[in-house]
Amino acid sequence: MEFTALFLAITVVMLAAWRGARAVALPLFGAVLIACGAVYLHHATDVLKLSF
Amino acid sequence: MQLTPARAVALNVLSLYGVALILAGAFAAQLFLHELPCPLCLLQRVMFALLAIGPILNIRFGPRTSHYALSMLAAVMGAVVSGRQILLHILPGDAGYGTALLGYHYYTWAFIGFGLAIVLLAAVLLSDRQFAHDASPPSTGRFATAAVWLVLALTAANFLSTLLECGFKSCADNPVVYELLKHGT
Repeated sequence: MEFTALFLAITVVMLAAWRGARAVALPLFGAVLIACGAVYLHHATDVLKLSF
Repeated sequence: MQLTPARAVALNVLSLYGVALILAGAFAAQLFLHELPCPLCLLQRVMFALLAIGPILNIRFGPRTSHYALSMLAAVMGAVVSGRQILLHILPGDAGYGTALLGYHYYTWAFIGFGLAIVLLAAVLLSDRQFAHDASPPSTGRFATAAVWLVLALTAANFLSTLLECGFKSCADNPVVYELLKHGT
């Protein structure tokens, strides 16, 4: 679900970058990047097994 | 060699076709090899799509350092995500996730791709001449317009595909069926 939302959000940012104002596209990009970081950290809470 | 604004825009157009090729390749593996992307795989696709925002802004408004910075941020984050997936499968005897292509799994190729993007972005930023242009936005040809709409269409297709795969809940760690299609049968 979270990835579906991210792809939708990026589609909107792309449309804003291509058709809209630059001042709108840049903050939207920042918001999506922060959301990506949050999703990554959520998945990074899984145990990471290393071989050493 | 110093990049003129026009040449820089042309490079950005080519980079958009590069991103489109990567997203289309991932789709091809999903559709023809029936390999559904895992959550980290999806996040790497997301980062590739996010990588395209900078070039779109450069084509629309002309080359600016801030646009390249957006792509750099996306590439660094993409490298972190793909690097984590490499580490998850680094144990000896671990077969990795999905099919290997030319000896490397897709997430390893993604790591190489993001690393390459960082190097290329830094190389392009070496040229100051591309930023010496007036405030008027450059004219965009059909080749550039097609590149933008191609990446946009592939990102929208990923939205639909992920909706089918995950449904309205969190995506499975090892997905084998499309959740929405499973409920439809």
